[in-house]
Amino acid sequence: MSVTINIPQFLQPDTDEVKVAKVDGGTVGECLNDLVQQFPQLKPQLFNNKSGKLHGYLDVFVNKKSAHPEGLGRPVANGDELHIINIIVGG
Amino acid sequence: MAANTGRFLKVNLSTGKTTTESVPEQVATDFVGGRGYGIRYLYDELAPNVDPLGEDNKLLLLNGPLAGAGALASSRWMAVTKSPLTGGYFRSVGGADFGAWLKFTGYEFIIIEGKANKPVYLHITREGCRVEDAAEIWGQDTRVTQEWLTQQHGRNTRCVCIGPGGENLVRYSAIVSGRRTAGRGGTGAVMGSKNLKAVAITATRHLQLFDQAAFAQLAKEQAAVVLNNKGFQNHKEWGTTRTQNVTNALGVYPVQNFRYGQQIGCEKITGEEYRKLRTGKFGCYTCPAKCGMAHVVKTGTYAGASSEGPEYETIWAFTGNTDTTSREATIAADELCDDLGIDTISTGCSISFAYELYEKGILTKKDTDGLELKWGNHEAMVALVKKIARREGIGDLLAEGVARAAAKIGKGSEAYAIHVKGMELPAYEPRGAKTQGFNYATSNIGASHCFGYSGQDIFGAIVPRPSDRFAEEENADLVVYNQDHTAWHETGIICAFAGGWGWVPDIFGKMLVAARGIDQLADEDHLQKVGERIYNLERAFNVREGFGREQDTLPKRMLTEPLHTRKAPGEGQIVRHQDEFLDRYYQLRGWTKEGIPSAKKLKALGLKL
Repeated sequence: MSVTINIPQFLQPDTDEVKVAKVDGGTVGECLNDLVQQFPQLKPQLFNNKSGKLHGYLDVFVNKKSAHPEGLGRPVANGDELHIINIIVGG
Repeated sequence: MAANTGRFLKVNLSTGKTTTESVPEQVATDFVGGRGYGIRYLYDELAPNVDPLGEDNKLLLLNGPLAGAGALASSRWMAVTKSPLTGGYFRSVGGADFGAWLKFTGYEFIIIEGKANKPVYLHITREGCRVEDAAEIWGQDTRVTQEWLTQQHGRNTRCVCIGPGGENLVRYSAIVSGRRTAGRGGTGAVMGSKNLKAVAITATRHLQLFDQAAFAQLAKEQAAVVLNNKGFQNHKEWGTTRTQNVTNALGVYPVQNFRYGQQIGCEKITGEEYRKLRTGKFGCYTCPAKCGMAHVVKTGTYAGASSEGPEYETIWAFTGNTDTTSREATIAADELCDDLGIDTISTGCSISFAYELYEKGILTKKDTDGLELKWGNHEAMVALVKKIARREGIGDLLAEGVARAAAKIGKGSEAYAIHVKGMELPAYEPRGAKTQGFNYATSNIGASHCFGYSGQDIFGAIVPRPSDRFAEEENADLVVYNQDHTAWHETGIICAFAGGWGWVPDIFGKMLVAARGIDQLADEDHLQKVGERIYNLERAFNVREGFGREQDTLPKRMLTEPLHTRKAPGEGQIVRHQDEFLDRYYQLRGWTKEGIPSAKKLKALGLKL
């Protein structure tokens, strides 16, 4: 199964400027783990060191809709498109 | 049943005369309310080229159609006027309870005109409006003023007021309600110029909605969506106190008057560090986020200082600007700005400007009343906050804003005046977040991050599309989208953060219909066109005041000096294609090459000027 992950610009320094990656997985969490396999430097940028959970200020959108509240457990299907978003905003 | 378009109160301070009128249904359909009503009436009411601090300027205080009705995060208020800082159209938004209270009186807005011959305040109830003597509170800070008004009129009273900053006509003085401010653009000075210290409202909950039952049901739906939204949950936990963690890492946290994009020692000013000083949370009317994080300083130079903040922009205003990392100083400076009634962003930038002039030898100790304005000196920074609000010594010069101060100082100081249309820049470096930068350049109110916030640049927002933050003219469509989008959101004067919590546009549009009884307001395409109409009418106001392409520019520093980001991405970035950007932006807007809305565009928007 192939899923596309769009890497936001703020994470591209940890993907050697790769903007789009193809990953395998049946859930958001599995897809992100596959992404980390490809780009190990991403791990601390995505996950809390202690809890292993996605950082609280990040969200993953599946086909332009938030995966919250299922989060990492949200199922994905072949051909789905994921975006990683920083939900902190300024002001 | 007739549409519920709203009523407004007009008060002439010169004569004491008050009148009440209703908004025509066509205006409600075309402009919805809030910011839409603000520009529609300001454009029609104000003669061209009036002195912003003269008797002929007018000040509008508005709520939105959803205010006070139980919708979450939708009861903010707005001040609309001609700005003494920019000389153009201005809108500034504030929180707390005043928006709801104004609605409880049966009014959607107040138009204040003329000038009182002595200090006064307005006291408004459902029975009417009285002009009262303000001699006892003139000269007092905003906290004392509001306490006095509550003593006079009882606990069901809410106010907006000015502090010494507004009385002293500081060009970036604020209007304050509770501890929330309509900070930017000098709306406080407009009140001060009219000898108007405050507007106090005594009222209890009273609403007039087109369909109360439908609105109540929608409010339940809104709450279910918002409370489950991850962005809301993060905002409830942190407010904006963690934004600097992100912007600093990306090299867009302006330091030393926009010379650097990253602050050394930033680990001392992270959201997590501010949390150690947090003592409570405060929020606006019916908003469960309570994003105002209260902080108290317990020891050291600033022991005893406390503020409902600082939030991101204020943290930056009093750290990056002067290259200090004292959280305690930011809390003290924030408290002073709220008490004295001045804008934290323009205050911080004006101080930063003075520090750079001091470094360059353009200002010396003789000019600074003996203060040593060296980067990192937070005690001088806090001292300058007081001097600005009171127009003491060098504070009198800095109270004019950096553009006017530079014109007075000369000696090449203009190169260090970081502003757009006279208004100082907020906490996003334009060379590292170029969509945001071009939003500043083209904004109707000068350099405001809230007038077309570009979440695509650094936070990875994907609506309407992702962006490359270093791209220039390629992102002109995003600037247009963000500006128009913000304009129609602000017809409801909903919280800028809440707009991203999953209930806009669907539930928002339905709420507008339940409030107004005008079916078109549920149509997103209609709202998008309303946003474009508002933006164009504001632009037309500015064109009437002499604005055009020449004023749509970033500061020279951004166009000529490479950004130094220290260890962050974006080193060496510069804005290279501003002209190409403007050509593309004007084309998308349907404006001439000089930045003037074309007759064809105005006609398409139904604007007869």
